[in-house]
Amino acid sequence: MFRKATAAMLMALAVTPVTQALAQSQSQSVSMCVFDVIGANGDVYNLMKDYALEMKAHGVDYKLKPYTDEGVALGDFQSGQCDVLAATDIRIRRFNRFTGSISAVGAIPSYDDLRTVLATLAQPKAASLMKAEGYEILGIAPAGAGYLFVNDRAIDTAGELAGKRMATLDYQKDAIHMVDYVKATVVPSDITNFAGKFNNGSVDTAYAPAFAYEALELYKGVGDRGGIVDYPLAQLTIQLVARDDVFSEELAQASRQEMWAMYGQAMALVEKSEENIPEKQWIRIPDADVQGYQEMFRENRMELRDGMNGAPEVYDPRMMSLLSKVRCASNAGASECTAENRE
Amino acid sequence: MHTSIIPRFWMTGSTNRILLVFGLLASLAGCGYNPIYQTTGMVITGYSESEATPYVMQMSDANMACNLGNSLDPLVYSFGRVTDRPDTTGSLLQLLAANCSEEQAWEEELRYLRANYQGDVPAAKDARNAAKRWHAITAERRLKAFERAMRAYEYDPADPAAECPILHADQDELTFLLGLLTGLQAIINDTSSGGAAGIPKDIAPQAERAAQCLDNEKWGGIPDAIRANVWLLLPDTRPATSPDPWRVLRRSAELGVKAGFRASMALEVVAAETKGRDDVIANVIARFVASEDGFEVSEDYRLVDRVGRSVILHGSDKHWTEAYGYRTPRTYFGKMSPESSTDAEVMDLDSLL
Repeated sequence: MFRKATAAMLMALAVTPVTQALAQSQSQSVSMCVFDVIGANGDVYNLMKDYALEMKAHGVDYKLKPYTDEGVALGDFQSGQCDVLAATDIRIRRFNRFTGSISAVGAIPSYDDLRTVLATLAQPKAASLMKAEGYEILGIAPAGAGYLFVNDRAIDTAGELAGKRMATLDYQKDAIHMVDYVKATVVPSDITNFAGKFNNGSVDTAYAPAFAYEALELYKGVGDRGGIVDYPLAQLTIQLVARDDVFSEELAQASRQEMWAMYGQAMALVEKSEENIPEKQWIRIPDADVQGYQEMFRENRMELRDGMNGAPEVYDPRMMSLLSKVRCASNAGASECTAENRE
Repeated sequence: MHTSIIPRFWMTGSTNRILLVFGLLASLAGCGYNPIYQTTGMVITGYSESEATPYVMQMSDANMACNLGNSLDPLVYSFGRVTDRPDTTGSLLQLLAANCSEEQAWEEELRYLRANYQGDVPAAKDARNAAKRWHAITAERRLKAFERAMRAYEYDPADPAAECPILHADQDELTFLLGLLTGLQAIINDTSSGGAAGIPKDIAPQAERAAQCLDNEKWGGIPDAIRANVWLLLPDTRPATSPDPWRVLRRSAELGVKAGFRASMALEVVAAETKGRDDVIANVIARFVASEDGFEVSEDYRLVDRVGRSVILHGSDKHWTEAYGYRTPRTYFGKMSPESSTDAEVMDLDSLL
């Protein structure tokens, strides 16, 4: 009896450290800097909490840290204070120009097209496109289309933008080029101060996802005379980037698929934000004008792809080609689909 | 002895006279003659029926409504001791309280399924036992709701030749209808409790007969959905010429959407669970979520729709917990698996690689 008990105790002592070591070896601890305008109580942070939970099933133990300043989050990631960064694709561009070009101006005109793009990129086949210069994209989630907010409904065509002051992210080179193209005036801003500038009248226009209408009180800037132009200037996404030695190839792919599985959840938030904007605030533009805009955006994208006409080289040609294919698959009759200089 | 006490009583001073007055009042109250209690009872029960009930029916917060049933039933129904029994309001209050205890039973059912999924047998057993207890409490409350509703309209459900009750207003029709519904639910809860509540099973055929007293279309298909449920539960009760119960349930669900309260759809899920028809459950859940698009809820019976929704969501939660270990993620309500988002169109990447 005594021998049996002693043996059992010894077994227990021997087994416990082995089991613990096994559990530890199976679980990988990873830190993530998460940018969310509202911090730990924001939608993006909440989405990342769900993603982290999903990744636990793959043996990844995420430690999340919220940042309300995207520049600081980026800095901390670059200085190695976190393994993964969750930020907008505009900031992610420097790590992966291909995925960073999803938000190319006017390139994804509908959420159906966005769904196709993100589903395509979540496939294992796309894994090689997710790696660039020592970094890897671990997932992409939609954050909503960027719309043009104006303080005067008369500003409803590109021509009307000439001479108007527009809050522009000072690190978004494609947007600066576009603002110059329509002969508006760039008022350098960042995510934390563009809303204030629009609301106090320092600028006439700003672009942002629908989420900002309530959260950043852009309705103050819109007022009774202004509105929101109902045409997606660009599709903003939240992307996860890591140094490519953080995750194995299998884990990185699993992560991308988990993020893709959250598409519905993220889109539900986007749709809710858009529904919260009163109907009277939307400025609907005629179909004929839409075609004009599409061609204008296309010319700009090609300039920003090739670095022509004084434009910086911002967009990845492969992404421009993919987005063109997606657009033409859903709208085969568009003039760009038969154009000689197709993207 | 008496002679020695009485004179002494009268001979004492003012203190004793006050005691005497209190004694008389106390004896009057004990006999139920206290005019203040009676008046209060009439006011409270009258107010409950004419104001509180319609207000509660318009509520969208089913949890708050059920807690109201929990806390107000003992107070309101206790006035039955000094005035007429407030059976109409009392039926509704028990019905609401039963929703509260059923919610607890549901939570325990999900805990059981989670533990089962994880292979934790003691936790699964514990949760099963807890669920049975809550189902027993729910069944008892629902039996009371049924009995009070029948009594309120002087309807004897046990009498096979009973004539339909005279229902003056919509609210009377609804109270009677919900009474029948809770009677049916009481049997289902009792079964889930392992028969702990001992609900008489003949409530089912009684409810089936009485449901014919109500306009099916007006009440969003609930009367026929009750009947179809009973037919599936007790096939003997099904008239020879009646249509297929599943078709009746489907039609009732459509009428519910049209009427603005989807209780019939919930009854379709209940029937499917009873018969183990997972295909029907998946179909109803998908149809329910699809019906949200352009759905106009009935202002007057919003609560009925909300309770119906919670039944369907629980059906979905049970499936998800059993299959995946967790309840339905918000944006997956309407779908039965997390892989649903992989059905998106993808583009060929060969030219980019």
